Amino acid sequence: MSKFSRAIRDHAVPLALIAPSILVILVVVLLPLMFSFYTSFTNYRLIRPDTLWDWIGLRNYQRLLADWDFWVAFGRTILFLTVALNLELLFGLGLALLVNKITWGQRTLRTIMMFPMMFSPILVGFQFKYVFNDTIGLVNNALQSLGLTEFAIPFLVDRWLAFFSISFAEIWMSTSIFAILILAGLFAMPKDPIEAARVDGCSNWQVFRHITLPFLMPFIFIAMTIRSLDVARAYDVVDVMTGGGPAQRTELLWTLIARTAYDDARMGRANAMAYASILLSIFFTWYFFRKLMDARKHLGAF
Amino acid sequence: MRNFTKTGLATTVAIVLSGAASAQDYGSFEDYTLRVKLIGGAQYEPLYTLIPEWEAATGAKVEILSRKSHFELDREMKQDIAAGNIDYCVFSNHTNFAPQYDVMTQPLDGLIDADTIAAFSPLVISHATVSGDLFSLPRHSDVSNMFYVKSLYEDEANKAAFEKEYGYALTPPETWAQASDQAKFFTDAPDRYGTHFAGKDEGITGRFYEMLVAEGGVLFDDNWKPTFNSEEGVRALNWFVDLYQAKAVPAGTTNYVWDDLGLGFAAGAVAYDLDWAGWAAYFNGSDSKIGGDVGVALAPKGSSGKRTGWSGSHTFSITKACDNKDAAASLVTFLTSQNAQMIEARAGLLPTRTQVWTDVIAEFKADGNAFMVEVFDIWGQSMADHAFTPPLIAEWGEVSNALWPQLQAAILGDVTAQEALDKAAKEVSEVMEDAGYN
Amino acid sequence: MPTRTKTVLIWLLTFTVMLIICMPGLWIILSAFRTNGEILTKPAIWIPQNLTLDNFRAIFGFGENVIGVPVSSYFRNSLVISVTSTFLALLIGMTGGYAFARYQFPGKSSTFLWLMLSRTVPGIALSLPIFIIWSRLGIIDTKFGVILVYTAINVPFTVWLTEGFFRQVPNDLNEAAQIDGCTRWQAFWKIEFPLAKSGIASAGIFAFLTSWNEYALASQLTRSTDSKTLPVGLMDFTAQFTIDWAGMCAMAVIIIIPALILTFLVQKHLIAGLTFGGVKG
Repeated sequence: MSKFSRAIRDHAVPLALIAPSILVILVVVLLPLMFSFYTSFTNYRLIRPDTLWDWIGLRNYQRLLADWDFWVAFGRTILFLTVALNLELLFGLGLALLVNKITWGQRTLRTIMMFPMMFSPILVGFQFKYVFNDTIGLVNNALQSLGLTEFAIPFLVDRWLAFFSISFAEIWMSTSIFAILILAGLFAMPKDPIEAARVDGCSNWQVFRHITLPFLMPFIFIAMTIRSLDVARAYDVVDVMTGGGPAQRTELLWTLIARTAYDDARMGRANAMAYASILLSIFFTWYFFRKLMDARKHLGAF
Repeated sequence: MRNFTKTGLATTVAIVLSGAASAQDYGSFEDYTLRVKLIGGAQYEPLYTLIPEWEAATGAKVEILSRKSHFELDREMKQDIAAGNIDYCVFSNHTNFAPQYDVMTQPLDGLIDADTIAAFSPLVISHATVSGDLFSLPRHSDVSNMFYVKSLYEDEANKAAFEKEYGYALTPPETWAQASDQAKFFTDAPDRYGTHFAGKDEGITGRFYEMLVAEGGVLFDDNWKPTFNSEEGVRALNWFVDLYQAKAVPAGTTNYVWDDLGLGFAAGAVAYDLDWAGWAAYFNGSDSKIGGDVGVALAPKGSSGKRTGWSGSHTFSITKACDNKDAAASLVTFLTSQNAQMIEARAGLLPTRTQVWTDVIAEFKADGNAFMVEVFDIWGQSMADHAFTPPLIAEWGEVSNALWPQLQAAILGDVTAQEALDKAAKEVSEVMEDAGYN
Repeated sequence: MPTRTKTVLIWLLTFTVMLIICMPGLWIILSAFRTNGEILTKPAIWIPQNLTLDNFRAIFGFGENVIGVPVSSYFRNSLVISVTSTFLALLIGMTGGYAFARYQFPGKSSTFLWLMLSRTVPGIALSLPIFIIWSRLGIIDTKFGVILVYTAINVPFTVWLTEGFFRQVPNDLNEAAQIDGCTRWQAFWKIEFPLAKSGIASAGIFAFLTSWNEYALASQLTRSTDSKTLPVGLMDFTAQFTIDWAGMCAMAVIIIIPALILTFLVQKHLIAGLTFGGVKG
C-alpha cells in the first residue's frame, strides 16, 4: 500500500469532513479560475467564440506590462486600499474608544455604529452618488443653502475630490467592522494592568500606547484580515459612483477589468488583469493573516 | 421621459388596435411559441402592447425572455454568444451594435419580402446592412439636432449685446463655431450654462465622432488604421475642450449621460442642447420649465461645411438558431409595420418608413401641433440628408471604449487634444490588430 | 478640564460621528417618501412638503404609476437564495471547521490557508468564467446556480469562525460524554454544538449579509424574475434615459430593512462570535 493511500485511510474521518468544503470551492472557485487562466493566454473575445482556441502565449501579459493605464490603475488601487484601510482602522479605533467611554445608551450606539455594515455595497455606491451629485446632491445642496458656495462642486469629477468621494464611501461602509472588533477587544480587556500602570504614574497616552494598544493588536489584525478578504467589494461602490471615470481618475483594477471584459468583450486580456488583482488580494490577506497568527500566539500570554 | 411617453398613449393605442392588422397577412403559426429578447424602458414599451394582436392574428404565442435596457441587453447578447446559449428567435438590435452579433444574426434578405423593405427609407436600410447583408429591420431611428430656448434668442438686449461682442447677429447657430460663441455668451453660472454634452461612454465618443466628420476628418483610413488624431480630429476635440475650459458647460458634464442632459435642458439650465428627437414633446410640454419656449434647428455645420448627424436605428433581428424563421420574420414585419410605427412616431420617435413620415406630420398638422410639425420637418431633413452611422464594424464598442477616457482627459485638461488622440489612436490600432484587420 | 465639560464634549463628538454614520442612509429613507419632482428641484427643498407612499405603491404595482420592476419576485428570490445558501454554507463550513479543530492530518495548515485565500478572489474575476461554465451546465438564471456560488464564497469564512469556536470547547467534555456512553455524534450535538452556538450564529449572519448584498456575481448569473435578486433589481431603475431617484430610494429601503432587523436581533452574537472565533481560537 502506498504512503498516500495509507495517509488517506488513517485520516479518513477528517478528510471526509473537509471534503464538502474543498469540493464546493473546487467547483465554484478553482475550476473557473483554471478556465480563466487558460483564456489569459488566448485572444479570447466574447463575440467571437472561436477565438477561445486562438493561443497567443504571453502576449496579453506582455501588453499588460507595457500598459501604462493598467499600472496607474494598479497603483491607484494600492493607494486606495492603503488610504482606506488605514483610515478605517484609525476611525474604527476612535469610534470604539468613544463608544467604550459612554455607558448610558451604549447598546443603541453600538447598533447605530453597525448600521453601514448592513448596506449592500451597490447601495452604498448609489447612496454616495446621490450625496455627492453635483446638481441634486445632499452636500452641494447643503453648501449652497448655507451660502458657503455659489457653484456646484463637481465632487465626482475633480481629480482629488473624486478620489476623496470614493474613499469616503468605502470608509463609511467598512469602518464599522473595525469599530465592532476593537470594541469587543476593549470589553475583553483585563482592568488590572491599567490600574497598576496608573498607580505607577503613567499618563493616559502611555497607558494607551503600552497597554491598551498591544492588547488590541490581534483584534485589529482580525479586522484587517476580514476586510482584506473582500476588498474587492469596493468594485460595486466605485462602479456605481463613477465607473472609474472621468478620464480614468478613479479607475481601480476592478473597474478596468469589468470594462475590458464586458464592454470590450476582450476576455483574454481581462483575465490577465484579473490575475494581477487576485495576487494583490492574496498578498494583502496573507500578510494580515500571518500577523494575526503571530498575534494569536502572543495573546496566549494573557 | 417616462412622463411624456405615458401621456396620451392609452388613446393612441386604442385607435390603432381598432383598425389595424387586417390589412396584411401575417401567416398562421398555430401553437408555436416565439421566444424573444426585447429592449425595455419607457419609450420602447408602448410598441409591445401590440404583440397580443399579432398573437391573435397568427395563433402563435410570444414569450419575452428579457426586457432590459440597451446596455444590459448588449452584455447579455455577448454572454449568449460566448456560451453558445441562443435559444430564442427575435432580439432587439441597434444598427451601430449589430455587427457585434454577426455570428448569431440571420440575414433577412429572402425572409422579408422586397416590397416590405422598399417601403423603408433607403438610407436607414443601408445603415442596417452589414457587408451586404440586411441584418435587421429598423423600428425607429434617431439623430440629434438643436433645441434652444427661444426667449433667450429673441431677447432684444441679448441680440444687441451679442452683436456688439461678436460682430454678427444672434440667431440659432448655423456653424459649430457660432455655437461655441453663443454658449460662452449665454453662460451665467451657476444658474445657466451655454450648453452641455454627454461626457462619458459612447455619448462623448459619438459627439466627438460627428464633430470629426463635420470638420472633414475620418476615424479610419481605407486600411482600418485610425486617422482621428489628425488636424481635423484635434479641431473637433478642441471644440469640447474649449467650452469646458471656458466654463461654458457645467463642470459635471463629463459624468452626464442622456437623462442628465434632457432633464437639465427641461429645467432651463442651459441655453441650447443638441439632443435626440424623443425629447421634443417633453421639452415643450407642461412638465418642462421651458415648455412653449423651445425652438428647434438643424444641427450646425463644422468647418468642412458638413453638418453633424451621428445617427443610429433601433431594430429587430432574427437569430440563426431560430427554429421557425417565418414566424420570426412575421413578428419583425408586424412590429415595424405602418401602424406600429405610427404609435412610436406619435410619441416623437423617428419612423423608418417613408409613408409614416408623411402621415404623422399630417396628423400633427390636423391636431394643430405646430411644434411637432416643425420637429418632424427638421429631423426629417436631418435623417434624409445628414445622418451617418459610425463605422459598422464589430469593434465599434471597443473603439469607443478606447476613445472616451482619452477624450475626457483632454476635456478636463489633463493632456492636450493631440496627446489624447495620439494615445487613443495607439490603443485603437491595437484593438484593430487583435481583431485581425491588419 | 472639568469632568462635566469633558462629558459634554464626548457626547457632542459622539453625536456628530453618529450623524455622519446615519445621515446618508436617513437621507435615502426620507427621499423614498418624496417625489422625484421635489428631489430634483433647485434650490433644494429641505423640509419635505408632501410625504407620499407613491414610490412604494409603484414598486409593488398598486396605484396608477405602475413601474415594471417586479420587486416582490426579487424579494422572494433574494430571500430563498440567501437563506438556502447560508444554511448550506453553515452545514458544510461547520463540518470542515470541526475537522480542522478536532483532528490532525497531513497538510492541515496549508489546506486551511488556501481555503481562506480562495475567498479573496474578486467576484468580478470569477463572474465570467463561472458564467460560461454555468451556462454549459444549464444553470444560468436559476436560483440553484446562484445558491451554489454563494455557498462556496461563504464556506471559507464559516470554516474559520467555527474552527475557532470548536477549538475553544475543551476536548475533555467531548471525551467525558463519550465515556458516559454517548456516541461521538451525540456528544457533538449535545455538548459541542451548543457551546459553539454564538460562533455559528455570527458566521450565519455574515453569510446571510454577504449573500443578501452581493452584486458583482449575481448581476452576471441572473437575468429574469426567476432568479434576479434585490441588488441586481436596483439597477432596473437606471434605464438608458432615466434615473428614477425616488424609486431607487424606495427600493433601497426595502433592501435594508430585513438586514437591519436581522442584525439588530443578533448583534450580541455577532460581536462575541467574531472576536472569540478569530482571536482566541
